[in-house]
Order: sequence, then structure tokens, then C-alpha cells
Amino acid sequence: MTDFIQNCIDGVMIGSGYALLAIGFTVVFGVLRRLNLAYGPSIMLGAFVGALLYIQFQAQLFTVAIATVIVATLTGMYVERLCFWAIRRGAALASMVSSFAIWMQLEEMAVIILPERTYPFPALTDLAPIHIGPYFLRSEHLTMFVVAVLLVIVVHTVLYRTRFGLAVRAVSENPDAARYMGINIDAVMFWAFAMVSAIGGIAGFLILATDQQVTPYFGLWATFKGLIAMMLGGMGSLPGAILGGLILGIVETQSLWYLGNDYRDLSAYFLLFLVLIIRPGGIFGHALSERERAALRRV
Amino acid sequence: MMDEYVVSVISNMGMISFLALSAYMLLLTGEISFGQQAYFAISAYLSAMATAMWGWPLWAGLLLGAAAAAFAAGLIGVLTLRLRGLYFSIATLAFAEMVRLLFVNFHYQVMIDGEPVGPDGAEGFRDIRWIFEHNVSAFEYMAIILAVLTVVVTLFFIAERSRLGSIFRMLGEDPLLTELQGLNVIRYKVLASCLSGFIAGIGGAFYAHFATYLEPQIFNVMLGVHGLVYGLIGGLGTALGPLIGVALDIGFLEAVRAIQGYRMIVFGGLVAVLLIFMPRGILDEERVHWLRMTWRRWRNAAR
Amino acid sequence: MLTIDNVVTSYGMIKALKGVNLTAESGKVTCLLGPNGAGKTTLMFTIAGILKTQEGSITFDGTEMSRFSPVKIVELGISLVPENRLVFPMMTVRENLETGAYLRVGKDKSAIADDVEAMFARFPRLEERSTQMAGTLSGGEQQMLAIGRALMARPRILLMDEPSLGLAPLIVEEIFRIIEDLNQTGVTIFLVEQNARMALRVADQFYLLEQGKITFSGTPGELEEEEVIHRAYLGSRRE
Repeated sequence: MTDFIQNCIDGVMIGSGYALLAIGFTVVFGVLRRLNLAYGPSIMLGAFVGALLYIQFQAQLFTVAIATVIVATLTGMYVERLCFWAIRRGAALASMVSSFAIWMQLEEMAVIILPERTYPFPALTDLAPIHIGPYFLRSEHLTMFVVAVLLVIVVHTVLYRTRFGLAVRAVSENPDAARYMGINIDAVMFWAFAMVSAIGGIAGFLILATDQQVTPYFGLWATFKGLIAMMLGGMGSLPGAILGGLILGIVETQSLWYLGNDYRDLSAYFLLFLVLIIRPGGIFGHALSERERAALRRV
Repeated sequence: MMDEYVVSVISNMGMISFLALSAYMLLLTGEISFGQQAYFAISAYLSAMATAMWGWPLWAGLLLGAAAAAFAAGLIGVLTLRLRGLYFSIATLAFAEMVRLLFVNFHYQVMIDGEPVGPDGAEGFRDIRWIFEHNVSAFEYMAIILAVLTVVVTLFFIAERSRLGSIFRMLGEDPLLTELQGLNVIRYKVLASCLSGFIAGIGGAFYAHFATYLEPQIFNVMLGVHGLVYGLIGGLGTALGPLIGVALDIGFLEAVRAIQGYRMIVFGGLVAVLLIFMPRGILDEERVHWLRMTWRRWRNAAR
Repeated sequence: MLTIDNVVTSYGMIKALKGVNLTAESGKVTCLLGPNGAGKTTLMFTIAGILKTQEGSITFDGTEMSRFSPVKIVELGISLVPENRLVFPMMTVRENLETGAYLRVGKDKSAIADDVEAMFARFPRLEERSTQMAGTLSGGEQQMLAIGRALMARPRILLMDEPSLGLAPLIVEEIFRIIEDLNQTGVTIFLVEQNARMALRVADQFYLLEQGKITFSGTPGELEEEEVIHRAYLGSRRE
């Protein structure tokens, strides 16, 4: 039982990182009704630049973080302009394919920056684990969790208490009506994308600093985790994304503990598949708006 | 005689074309599948097991693999009937990854001439040597692949003109309308799924014997998305579309070796720009229609 | 106030508007009638800046605005109540009203709050439901909300695209009463409608759009005189 609870704790901590990634996908899907396949790779490019600074110039943790976030954000803007803005509104499929093409582009760029398979990433913190009764919390996990919580609060505040957030929500619900209110759709989409890329950058940094290493597989990995978490919790729902991330984290840690490394990822995919077959709306069962339903019918 | 290298490139294009065509078939019915690589994999492993471990002839192994792939695809088709659009896509992705991870844990070997032969999880499956043991040259093998591919593409063309083709396209445009026409949407969707699995399976079986070595890592999401994208770049107007996509990528890869390290950067950028101007691919339905009309007019004028 | 001069707009490959001329005078209710597919919504979209004209011009209080972006057009003081309402379903009634004032948010906080209260005073039913999600409102309530939302921008002219569409007759009467009230408080209204009978009660000037061209222009009295229009739109032959 102790193990189970310990795993749950660890799972929630790790899951908070996944939740952040899922938020990125969810907001982009909400505002643009498209999937951004270049999301993970954008973050990875940022991380690689950060790692480069760490290795070549012995940069400090904070510098690496800033570099990661800035490069991830700029890359996100590049992706938005090329794949989502430049392609006609109606051509949703083309945008997704375009983002895939850019995914490939970004992966190659990352490999050019750092050609080896694994690179060290600065450690998030040097503090010793904290003990609470029979359980222990790794300090990196706790840091990641706390930052994630703060970030979620920030996102929530932006969405519900700022003019920009109002515009984002309006565009998500009905871009035509939003236009009639005088909202500049293109600008909203661009900045929403930028915000999401920054969040992704932070999430990527936290995760990699916890693992203390970065590999070229990180892009694909991050995309998967974000996607799975988003779908588990219910596409298009922010609380769903967060919940999905936490559940994914817990499922992973539990299956890692009880079933071993070989079955860890398998369990996650199996769970996802099951949820999709049985309850496509996600565990949260978020009631989809008509527009979301229509968007989901034909990508 | 043809340069060995060219033979290998053409063979590659041929095999991947099966994967692209399989994704294309589902695209026609309006579904985006990220998981066709799973059927490619199932058939690759099964056909290889048949020839390398049980001593079957190639064609029998191929049929077995493709049939198994079709069966799996049909099963998934049934399970995902309720799902549409993005949900369907993610479900196929999840399934394909599950299949890949299952192969990572799949160990099944028999002793042949004192050596263990068979899939060994992540270590892979070596010595799928049927074509070497039966003296099929690389050139002959390529010819076989192309021959089968031609047959499949011809069947596609025939189907396009036929009722089945229109039904599939109608499913893609408007499933509700299809239903209202009295057509059993479920049956056709599952049929499309099975066929797509079968086609992918053919390619997988060919691949296994071409490469002589399989490992789960090969059948990852990248492979599947590539297959999908070929159709989307080449255009969904005809079965030639996916082939054009394949030729563009693999042909491009080989032709521009000078930019070896930057291939994806250039290709990725080109694709993105292409899609701005041709969002439905090069040979999309409109363009194909225009081409057909022009051809007809030209033919009539020549009389 | 709003002058449309020989406007030609294409919708894809179809020429939806083939040279439209009309004027909406300040302080009046101008109504555009026409059957489905005549191009009424295309005209609305053209005025709102969503579609661009190929020829002709649109002038608002002396400013030529046919090339303006939708954002600038709202800034000019033109607000659209779209066909089918298009309220934001997952936002509350209050939030919907606030989005209407989007261009004023941050600059005018107390004025916006006052305007929201004013909307509630004008539409008491909305006040009752102020914290409800707009998607749960009835058709008539959504129409009121859409009108209120458009008014939040303090427009100088209100464009209304088929406000009676999909609403029960009693509700339609209520909506048109609201339109009449609005006009009496000085709001200029440009109305597109299929329901000529109700429009007759409120409009000061009529235009008839058929197949992309204006085929009639006149007062309500003149409208009632025209035989053809009577049969086609008012349903019965003139006694």
C-alpha cells in the first residue's frame, strides 16, 4: 500500500509536467481547432539551445531556462505563421501536415546543434528529498509541481481576467462572432500560440532538468505525452488537460513499479485506447460544443 | 544491368508506396489514420516468421501476413466505428504504438540448424533470408514488388470508376448522406479498413524479406505519418498521388545527397510552402478533374 | 449615414452582388428584403468587412470603408447582430455582453459596467439570467443577448441580419418591438429580413434585393402598393 501511495505521489508530480504539455495542445486546439504536431519539437529545439549553452558556456540554470523558453516561443511563432496562418482557413488537414513537415525540420535542426544521442541538462535543484512519514518527495519533482501549479494559476488568470483571455475564449467558442466584436482573430491566434509555446518551454525545461539529460527523442516524446494527457482528460477542456496529465503520470508510475519498464508506455497507450473506445469525451466527459463536435468529425 | 543502388532505391519506393496507398484508402473515406504502420509491422513479422521459421514459400508468407494485417485492421475498424476525426486518428496512433511495444516484448524463437531464429523483442528478428536462399536477385525482387504494386494501383483505378470507389469517396464527404442512400456505412467503413490493412500488409511482407532484419523501432509513428503525408502531398485525387509523394521524398532524398545533413530542413520547408499554395496536394480532386477534361478535349480535337 | 454604391461582391466563383445601391439614413430603420440566396447576407458581410467588394464603394458618414478590416469597421461604429445570433455558448450572459465592448475594454471600465447595467434594464430577462451560460438561453433570449452585445460597442449604426429567423411568432413580435424602441432612442438600424410583414411595422425605408440587384426602393406605403411584392412576400393579394 505504501508503494501504491508513493507511486501516486510521484505520479502526480511527474503528471504535472504532462499537464502543462497538455494545456499547450488544448489551447491551440481550442483556438485553432487544429493539432500542432510540431509542438514537442519546438520545445525540444529550445531545450537543445539551452543544453548547448550549458555545455559550451557553462551557463547557469536560470540562463538555460530562459534560453529554452525564448527559443521555444520563437519557434512556436515560426510554426504558427508558416503552418497555421499562411494556410487558408478551411484547409485544416494541410495545416496539420505542414506542422508535421516542420516537426521533421526542427528535429533535424536540433540534431545539427547537438549531434550526439544524449546531452546533460542542468539539474533542477540540489536539495535532498523531503521525507513525510514513510513517503519521500524528490525535491526536483516538488519544484516542478509547484511551478506547474503556479503556471496553471497564471494561465487561468490570463484567460478569465484579462482582455486577451476574453478574446481567446471568444475565438475558441466562435471565431466569426468574435470577429464581429472587433477582435483581431489573427493576432489572437498568434499570441495564443506564443503563450502556449512559452508554457511548453517551461514544461520542457522542468522535465529535462528533472531528468538531467536531453535526447533527440524528446520532441516526439513531449508531443505524445501532451496528446495522450489531453485526450485522457477530454479534448478541449483545460481542467481535463490537467487531470489527464496527472492520471497519465500516476498510471505510468504504477505500471513502471508493478509491471516493469517494458510495460510502462504500453499501459499508457492501452489506457488511452480504452478511454477513446469507451468514452471518447475523455475521463472528464466534457460536453463538446457543436463547433468542437463538427471540428472533430473532419479534421 | 541496373546499378545495385538504384535497384535498392526503387525497391524502397515500391514498398513504402504500399503503406502510402493504405493510408490513402482511409483518407478517401474521410479518416486520417496515424497507425497504418501497425499493419505493415504485423505482416512483416508474420510473413517473416512463416518463411524463416516454418519454411513457407514467400508468396504464402506474404498472403498470411497481409491477411493477418487485414484482420487486425478490420478489428480496429470495428472498435473505432463510433470515433470520428481526431479521435479516430489518436486511437489509431495509440493502437500502432501498442503493437510496436508488444513486439518489443515478443520473444519467439525456434532452433534451425543449431541457431535460434525468430523475433527477439527489442533485439530484433534477424536472418529473414528467403530471397537469398532461393536465389532471387535484387533486380528480380524489385521487379516483383513493382509488378504487385502495378496490379494494386490498377485495381485502385478500376475501383475509382466503380461503385465502390464512389461509395468510399461519398463516405469521406458526407457519411450521413451515404447512410440516407440506404448504404450500410458500417460495412463499407470496415471494408475500407480491411483493405487498407491488406495493402499495408503486402508492403510489410516485402519489406521484411528485403531488409532481412526487423526490429520494433522501425515501425514507429514516423513511418506511419510519412505514409500518410505522401498521399496528402501528392494529392488525394488519384492513387498516383501517394506515389508522387513517395517519389518526391525518397527520390529527393537520394537525388540531393549534397545536402545530406540538411535534407529534412529543406524538404520540410518545401512541403510547408507547397501546402500554402496547394493545400489539398499536387494532384487533388479538382486538378485531376481538370486534367481529365483537358485530356478529353485534346483527344476530341485530335480526331 | 451609410451609402452603398454599385457594390459588386463575389462569393467564390459566384457573383453574389451585381451592383447594389442603397442608402441607410441616420436615425431611421432601413430594411432590405429579399428571398433566400438573393445576396442579403453577402451584403451584410461586405459591409462588416468580412468580404471585400470587387467594385463600387461603401461610405459611412463620409469615410470610404470598403477596404477596411473588420476590426476597423467595428471601431468606426458599425455593429453587427449576426444571422443565427452566434452568442458565445459557454460564456455567461454578462461575459457575452462584455465581449461586445471588447474594443473598449481596459479603457472605459466603469462606462462598460454602466452599459451592462443599462442592457439589463432594457432587457430584464437577460438580467435574470446574467450568470447563466448563453448556450442555455432560449432563441428569443439569445436574440436579445445578441442585440445587447452589439449595442455594447456603442455603435452608430446597428446591422441586423434576419433577427426573426427561427423564432416563434410571439417572440418575433417582441423582437420587433425592441427594434422599434431602439430606433426611438435614436439608434440607426439597417435590417435584413425575410419577414416583410413585421418589417412593415418598423421600417422607414425599404429595399428589395433579388439575385444580387436592387429591384425596388421605397417607403412602407409604396411597398404595400406594389402587387408583385405583395404576393411574393406578404402572402396574400391586396384586398
